[in-house]
Amino acid sequence: MKVKCYIQGMAAISPQQTFDGDISTAPFVHSESNRLVCVEPDYKPYIPANSLRRMTRVLRMGLATALKCLSVSGVSTPGPIVTGTGKGSLQDTEKFIKEIEQYKETALNPTPFIQSTYNSVNGLIALQQNGTDYNNTFVHRGFSFENALVDSMMLLQEGASHTLTGSFEEMTPEHYYIKSRIGQWREAPVGNTHLFDANLPGTISGEGSAFFVLAAAPTQESKAAVTGIKLLYKPASERLSAVLQELGADADLVISGANGDSNYAHYYQLLNTVLPKPTIPFKHLCGEYDTAGSFALWLAASLLHAGNIPAEWFPMVKELPADFKKVVIYNHFFGEQHTVMVVEKV
Amino acid sequence: MAERVFITGMGMVTAIGDNVAGNLQRLRQQESGLGFTDYIDTIYKQVLPVGEVKLDNTTLFRMAGIPVQDGFSRTTLLGLVAMREALQQAGIQHLQDEPTGFINASTVGGMCDTEKVYFDLINPEKSGTFIESIHTLDCADCTQRIADTVGFTEHMATISTACSSSANALMFGARMIKAGMYQRMVCGGTEALTRFTLNGFNSLKNVDKQFCRPFDQQRTGLNLGEGAAYLVLESESFAKANNSTILAEFTGYCNANEAFHPTSPSPEGDGAYAAMKNALAMSGRTLEEVQYINVHGTATLNNDISEGRALERMFGTAIPPFSSTKPFTGHTLAAAGAIEAIYAVLAIRNGIIFPNLNFSERMEELQIAPATELQEEVVINNVISNSFGFGGNNASLVISKYEG
Amino acid sequence: MEELKQKLKEQIIEALNLQDTKPADIDDNAPLFGDGLGLDSIDSLELMVLLERQYGIKVEDPREGRKILQSVQSMAEFIQSKQQPA
Repeated sequence: MKVKCYIQGMAAISPQQTFDGDISTAPFVHSESNRLVCVEPDYKPYIPANSLRRMTRVLRMGLATALKCLSVSGVSTPGPIVTGTGKGSLQDTEKFIKEIEQYKETALNPTPFIQSTYNSVNGLIALQQNGTDYNNTFVHRGFSFENALVDSMMLLQEGASHTLTGSFEEMTPEHYYIKSRIGQWREAPVGNTHLFDANLPGTISGEGSAFFVLAAAPTQESKAAVTGIKLLYKPASERLSAVLQELGADADLVISGANGDSNYAHYYQLLNTVLPKPTIPFKHLCGEYDTAGSFALWLAASLLHAGNIPAEWFPMVKELPADFKKVVIYNHFFGEQHTVMVVEKV
Repeated sequence: MAERVFITGMGMVTAIGDNVAGNLQRLRQQESGLGFTDYIDTIYKQVLPVGEVKLDNTTLFRMAGIPVQDGFSRTTLLGLVAMREALQQAGIQHLQDEPTGFINASTVGGMCDTEKVYFDLINPEKSGTFIESIHTLDCADCTQRIADTVGFTEHMATISTACSSSANALMFGARMIKAGMYQRMVCGGTEALTRFTLNGFNSLKNVDKQFCRPFDQQRTGLNLGEGAAYLVLESESFAKANNSTILAEFTGYCNANEAFHPTSPSPEGDGAYAAMKNALAMSGRTLEEVQYINVHGTATLNNDISEGRALERMFGTAIPPFSSTKPFTGHTLAAAGAIEAIYAVLAIRNGIIFPNLNFSERMEELQIAPATELQEEVVINNVISNSFGFGGNNASLVISKYEG
Repeated sequence: MEELKQKLKEQIIEALNLQDTKPADIDDNAPLFGDGLGLDSIDSLELMVLLERQYGIKVEDPREGRKILQSVQSMAEFIQSKQQPA
């Protein structure tokens, strides 16, 4: 497969002001909590009230992000719609499990069940945009978004003019608690400002949605190009080193998925050893979640397009590079799914 | 020129059999696997029929070749049983000999286990080994446990597009082979019955209290089922060099969206029509060369009208025999596409058309009716297999006889 | 009957989260589905849940449901017919 596609437009909802703001001027949003929560926009301009009334949070986030992405990309139809989500609508899943219990399996509202289906956001995008093309949803933890990206690149190679490719993820208080029981989060409140101050077990949780219109050929509007992607399942360190070297040797900026979790920090130390280059983190901006890789891609493309790195967003980095053309992103999800993406200036 | 994709191994477990041969036998005997559940804790135990695999988890652990342990949900175990057979049939002893990708499909992951302990999971007062099952809710959990048990280390994905999930998994795997990324992929899906899905479909008022009656005027809904199925796909050049036994060729596929409604198909079957038409065009076969259609045929009011209209639009009244095998297995959601893809291969290799059980009265909306008799010694070269899901997700596969 | 219809309208608005609609906006005889309130088949299932939870009336067949749920008037008549057996 030829790995090259162009980002024609993108949109993101995240714990930062990424939806309405401009990366060069938007202030860094601090959080005292270990559960970073999205800055949500007013959905009314994007979603008709009659549809909005039924939709739960992650559906709104996913749909609005997809719609904004399409509108800024200037494409008239979405083309194939390919997404990734690790958990889908947790809120609906939780609600349906509870109502089964509460109402003893009788007279249940169907809406939470319907919306708990992982591909419901895809269906809504297709419905609202009359997208009758290919439609697929990947649900594989830290490989969810990256598989959507691989699928999209294959579609482009097979002849699609463009794809709508994205992710959506939410963290509910209840699910945050459940995952705290196995030590996924820091015990003491660290928030996002001091995430990297100490090397301790656990990290902070996050959520978000990011969508991209991808095309096979560049135009004046292209924001950046994705020129490499590799998914590695539980790789040995030799394999990981080799892939990082292969994809990142000539990169001039590294975006690291480091999340302050001492349990898995050794992978990011390996990254620093293999690629001793200017490096910036991103998990203090969006938190840790299955599809955080999509935020990293949004960040890389935004930085390449803007041509500079806003210092306010990266107070922990002493010296930010002024000039960069090739960015390599390395991320993994709790040590299992490792991904490397290469993004270049157009 | 992209490589042709061959099916070189198959494995399955359903309500009508613990392996491919067992399924074929029960299909031939026209014996349904529908009945009442032994394993789900529900008030509908004696009310709503299901296609349950009558093997308890201890037996499934044994069949999967692993010791009984926490963290392996029934979804994972069913998947492992089917996976072992698929690899064995394909003659794969060491997955490492050839880089092999794994594309799985799941609709609710290990919900079957999670739902039993969920209220303990959210209760700080409760603790114990049940915490091990925290991870099983993720759809990726079953995929990775299957992968780790049998030795997949390469590209891995889990797809969830409701009832078309494993049809999409097969399509994704075939496309990776055609793109030259892998020479061999194993694709399919696994689904265990849960109280969650049973109540979910029941809340949509489309579960039949009788055995489901696809394409029948009196049908009132589906019956859920459980099971798992995997197919080994190989590129032509690899299959030949490897001397693989080629069971059939995977000649066409299409995924098209309806953009009509979150759960209901369009009355004229626009998505189904587009999926079938494009899949057949890709296969290079004509309408006349299709000898059997394994329809989605859930027996819900809407599906059968929509799919039936799409079939009429495509074939007119010169339609080849078609049937839904869901009265045998129940609707196995994420596993259905792969289970029925195997049935398509069985139809081709054995010259059999499976009957659409429980049919008696043609739908008033349609001119066509399904095959109700078992037909043997039929020449079948091409089969269309349909899988349609929520969110307007329509997938059609074309599976063809291998002719060198 | 008038009281029942008023209550039904409030319950419909709550069950379906019709935020910008007031009970007075819903005409007794206006179709709830399609051009009227713009409801769809999922809403019809939600309304059947409403009938079951609030009035203890179970509608099993979706085809029957469609007739009952034509308008607030038809819903109210159906509820009354069930509550006062002839």
